[in-house]
Amino acid sequence: MIRSNPEELIRKTIARFVDAEIIPVAQQLDKEGEFPREIFQKLAQMGTFGIRYPVNKGGAGGNTTLYCIICEELARGLVSVASITAMQCLMGTNFLFHHGTDEMREEYFLPAMRGEKIGCFCMTEPDAGSDLGAITTRASEVEGGYLINGMKTWVTDGPEASFYTVMCQTDPKKKLRGIGYFFVPRHFPGVSVSPRFECLGTRTTPICEVAFRDVFIPKEYRLTPEGEGLNSFLKIIAEIRAMTAALAVGLQRAATDDSIKYANERVASGQTIGKFQLIQAKIANMATNLEASKLLTYKAAAMIDAGRDALKEASMAKYFATEAACSAADECTRIFAGYGYSMEYSAQRYFRDTRFLLSGGGTHEVLQSNIARWAGV
Amino acid sequence: MNIIVLIKQVPNTSEVKLDPKTGNLIREGVETIINPDDLHALETAVTLKETYGGTITVLTMGPPQAMDALSEAIGMGADKAILLSDRAFSGADTWATSYTLGKAIQHIGDYDLILAGRQAIDGDTAQVGPQVADFLGLPQVTYVFDIEAVTTDYVVVKRRLEDGYERIQCSLPALLTVIPGAKHPRYPLVSRLLLACREKAPIKIWNAADIRVTTAEIGLDGSLTQVIRTFAPKFERQGEFLEGSTSGMVQNLIARFKENKLI
Repeated sequence: MIRSNPEELIRKTIARFVDAEIIPVAQQLDKEGEFPREIFQKLAQMGTFGIRYPVNKGGAGGNTTLYCIICEELARGLVSVASITAMQCLMGTNFLFHHGTDEMREEYFLPAMRGEKIGCFCMTEPDAGSDLGAITTRASEVEGGYLINGMKTWVTDGPEASFYTVMCQTDPKKKLRGIGYFFVPRHFPGVSVSPRFECLGTRTTPICEVAFRDVFIPKEYRLTPEGEGLNSFLKIIAEIRAMTAALAVGLQRAATDDSIKYANERVASGQTIGKFQLIQAKIANMATNLEASKLLTYKAAAMIDAGRDALKEASMAKYFATEAACSAADECTRIFAGYGYSMEYSAQRYFRDTRFLLSGGGTHEVLQSNIARWAGV
Repeated sequence: MNIIVLIKQVPNTSEVKLDPKTGNLIREGVETIINPDDLHALETAVTLKETYGGTITVLTMGPPQAMDALSEAIGMGADKAILLSDRAFSGADTWATSYTLGKAIQHIGDYDLILAGRQAIDGDTAQVGPQVADFLGLPQVTYVFDIEAVTTDYVVVKRRLEDGYERIQCSLPALLTVIPGAKHPRYPLVSRLLLACREKAPIKIWNAADIRVTTAEIGLDGSLTQVIRTFAPKFERQGEFLEGSTSGMVQNLIARFKENKLI
């Protein structure tokens, strides 16, 4: 039976959306730095946010590979639109979907799929990032529920969110074994949200701090059973890293495509600069790194879809693809020379946006340390 | 209201080049899309369905790769799709294509309205829609950009003219060819795109035998016209617009005449 290939079909559809709806306004959106609500709504109308969830529960019936394809294509247009989408599809709604009650899914998850509510993920704290055992936000059991106290920072989409999935410590003595996820609607008393941060890149992605002071949540708002928090984290972190790698692939494609186009147009000393070997070397490296990044990224995604442990592969993909994106954006600004320094062209945006990818999903210093350990040292 | 929409998968001709030796389109590596006018026909159908209910069946004739166009149509909201695919269909001119589509529509049977795009961007003939209507003996309105009213017996549509529009009441069943209207065609739903890729997707493939046509009536054999040669026009002369004040342009023009020893 002849049927369309879902990966090609989704890629083609999202690519058409990116070419028509994002690329023409990407520079303007970045300059204005506002949440891209119109684009967010259009992506919701297409059912994009449900890509990882089953059709009979409000999703689109896709998988991690398709999720990564969507993230990659969106990042080719504007990394911040991709990161907002990535949060809504994965970290912002995952624990609610898998561990929330039917009522919670009805009240929060389904509206999030329709783009009416925004969910986000609170993990990092002022004094704890990759070192999860050091988090101090506490969930203390009280009659009928929990009291949440603590401060989260670098909360992507935080200023726009309607609800938060908050990583908390339930028992400091247990360290990593004590962590768990708790669902906190923004309108609950004791939740306060800081103004958005001024950031170097991904300027339409709103990021902020969120403070929780004696926030009471009912007991069903605990999203992971006792002792299951770390396992849940390990399940999702591979997918987060594969997704971040896909964002890096998208950014690389944009930087590489722009560089090739410019190298074929710009004339110096009577010939296009693409005829010069030093420019050719840059393009060759960019194209090769891009291909390698895709292979690593989609290998990790395929392993996740097959139900295999892909933490090592996803970490390698995130590390390699993001370093390659940094290099591609750097080379793009060099190929564009003076115009690469101008805010009028996209090259500078690619350069700034790579910084978001460097720390999101784990710093490369931590990833390298992990990869080295898995390699045997 | 049961609607049949005729669509065609075409190369994105904004990127297509002609082979200078053969004169044929170079299709290799060129993205294929649903013909833009056909997307407007699909959008019109989905909007009508949302208002009046019913089903949408999308019909196309083409190679197996045209499946992607049907999947996209399912994504946009079509209920069913049929791909007419058979080697015997190849080489068809607009008449043989219209005949084949007409026979398939007769095979589908129950319909109130047939929508098609005005013309395809690869051939630009605008003949297939009207010929299908003629074959089926249906009233037709071309260049429709708005449907104002729908009853069980007739539709009221606006038809674009060079200097305005006509408002036409047309009895049903009928065939309308559609041009871009006020509403931009919607993007497909991701969940429906994935549904269209499944084995149990509501997409059928029919060959010549399925629609009960003989090879003499279809494809190259059934075509009334033959393309003798295709070629890209050579741009040997290029026009130039002179700009500035009237006297400046006249002086410039005289200078050009003198430069080329015309005066």
